[in-house]
Amino acid sequence: MNAIILSAVWGVIMMFSSILFKNKGAFKYIAAIGLIVLTVANIANTYGCDFFNINTHEMLRYTRFGLFFNTIAFLCTLIYVLLSGKEIEKHGNYVAEYYALIFFVLCGVSILTSFNNLLMLFLGIEILSIPLYILTGSDKRNLKGNEAALKYFLMGSFSTGLMLMGIALIYGGTGSFQIDVVRSATLFGTFSGISFLEVAGLLFMLVAMAFKVSAAPFHFWTPDVYDGAPTVFTSFMATVVKAAAFIAFIKLFEVRIADTSAVINWGMLLSLLIIATLLIGNITAVFQQSVKRMLAYSSIAQAGFMLFAVFSLNDFAKEGLILYAVAYSLATIGSFAILAKMKDITFEGFNGLAKSHPVLAATNTIFLLSLAGIPLTAGFFAKYYMLASVVKTGHYLWLVILGVLFAAVSVYYYFRVIQAMYFKEGDAQAEDVTPGFKIGLIIVAALIILVGIYPQVVLNWLYF
Amino acid sequence: MSLMNILLNATEGNNAANYFPIGVQLIFAIGFIATMMIATHLLGPKRKTADKLENFASGIPTHGNARQPIAIKYFLVAILFVLFDVEVIFFYPYAVNFRALGWDGFWKVLMFVGFFVVGFTYIIKKGALTWED
Amino acid sequence: MPIQYYIALSVCLFCIGIVGVLTRRNVIIIFMCIELMLNSVNLLLVAFSKMYNAPAFAANPASTVGIDGQLFVFFIMVVAAAEVSVGLAIIVMMYRNTHSIDVNFLNRLKN
Repeated sequence: MNAIILSAVWGVIMMFSSILFKNKGAFKYIAAIGLIVLTVANIANTYGCDFFNINTHEMLRYTRFGLFFNTIAFLCTLIYVLLSGKEIEKHGNYVAEYYALIFFVLCGVSILTSFNNLLMLFLGIEILSIPLYILTGSDKRNLKGNEAALKYFLMGSFSTGLMLMGIALIYGGTGSFQIDVVRSATLFGTFSGISFLEVAGLLFMLVAMAFKVSAAPFHFWTPDVYDGAPTVFTSFMATVVKAAAFIAFIKLFEVRIADTSAVINWGMLLSLLIIATLLIGNITAVFQQSVKRMLAYSSIAQAGFMLFAVFSLNDFAKEGLILYAVAYSLATIGSFAILAKMKDITFEGFNGLAKSHPVLAATNTIFLLSLAGIPLTAGFFAKYYMLASVVKTGHYLWLVILGVLFAAVSVYYYFRVIQAMYFKEGDAQAEDVTPGFKIGLIIVAALIILVGIYPQVVLNWLYF
Repeated sequence: MSLMNILLNATEGNNAANYFPIGVQLIFAIGFIATMMIATHLLGPKRKTADKLENFASGIPTHGNARQPIAIKYFLVAILFVLFDVEVIFFYPYAVNFRALGWDGFWKVLMFVGFFVVGFTYIIKKGALTWED
Repeated sequence: MPIQYYIALSVCLFCIGIVGVLTRRNVIIIFMCIELMLNSVNLLLVAFSKMYNAPAFAANPASTVGIDGQLFVFFIMVVAAAEVSVGLAIIVMMYRNTHSIDVNFLNRLKN
């Protein structure tokens, strides 16, 4: 409860700080303090100290997995705020409000990691999404931004409608909104003990969640939205938010998949989803000219890898999802922070960056290597755990082979950027960066390598 | 909680006879409107002048076309109204059960209202409701 | 009335909403179709709520079985209002830049 209440309250504090303080630079530090408070309160909650003892009638249930993900989300946001705070300040006069919206998103994230009731899932998804619509359209004069915001909004509320239909049908089939409900005798025709309404509802939920995590064939909004939104907010959307949507996905389906497997062939459905996502994400990313759009498509491809966790649903999958959230968030936040500093965001714009800005080029290389899943970076273990979880389930082993093949394809387009930075002649134009920014990038890169060499440094916290 | 069940047991049995009052009301409503409209056409005097074809705006002369750009603050007020209006929905269950919920429920509703007041204060402080520039 | 009628009605409304979202070009109408989808879900939830309440009500008129379906409807309404306000703001913002509310304008990002 700590994280949910404090993030909402701190959001309100941020809103009012815009009235009290006139200095734009101050908000970054207020937000950073808020994130530290949130992290500490959430860690206290993890070890049994809940400040607000509220009876939620089992609507929310706190697990070590969910609370640990909260901590990761808060820390990633802290890194994001410290690295990209300057960029947020460039986007108009509503800096404090942007931070307030980010805190409301985090409130949604902490609901999504602990929901045990479909009502809470719905509220969590909405609290997560609505601030993002605003952040996407924050650049009011930019037509691309407007278009992205409208598209995101229309697609988001459409998928919310699908999700609600799913929830209503599940309620009709089981008579309860709890996700771990014990089914009583239902009133309608059933397939081996499960109401067909519930089956239909689960399929609706699958489609809606696939929309939210941008899995193909429900991905078409993603590239446009990620491309059109201001780069700073894209980096937040693509990392913390996406990982949280996956946590919700896995929480929702880990109970239901097991006990409806007699009726629906989940393995086949999810593997089709995974193949389509990996295929479309990777193949389209190859043909992009703009690095921002390439990263948008590659985020679809990464979603395909995270879907392996939903597919296999064992301990390996959960550990892998945590690791993936860390690796992917750190690398994406870092590489988007660099992208936001670039004058030209096409591949040509990166030509010869190694000469003009060696630190940016070196750290960007590490981020891209991690995204590609090269050993000694965090991305390698993230992908390894995902594939290992599928191996552990014992069937659909061809998925693993496909996964490795597509990871190899992804190396191509990530290396195009590295090649442009190091081996091509040109004068890459980047804005002046402060020493603090460089140090931040180096710390993020160091974290990625640390997790890449010794992943237990993250995973141990899941158990101790 | 028994009062909340008013919503639930609105229709007791379901057969065609239960719809009879609704049918009567429908016929009466249509018949009344038709009679009135025909009666006014038959009884009323008919004068067609330019003045009568004008739009009626409470006796004040009209200004130009209605299809012109409206200041953005009207949209803002409308959007804010939508937000604050719908939240009243949560008062209905409370109003129905407020005796049963007692002081405990009162504090919770007060907290809910408190959040609203905070939001409202924010809007006023930001100047979203000031009409004069 | 059997529950099947309610299910059929709300599924019909829902499908009208989906078809509207996918085929119409005016943003406001797309928006209304999304609202139609949400309201068909509201109808379905209330019908299910009543369905679960009916046997419990016969035994005990004070029973609250199935009341959660109706409470869910309240939440859907409120969240839909919040969504509407953000959506309208986005539409106004787009109208001020393009002087149109046609979604065919949304092709600048498709290089």
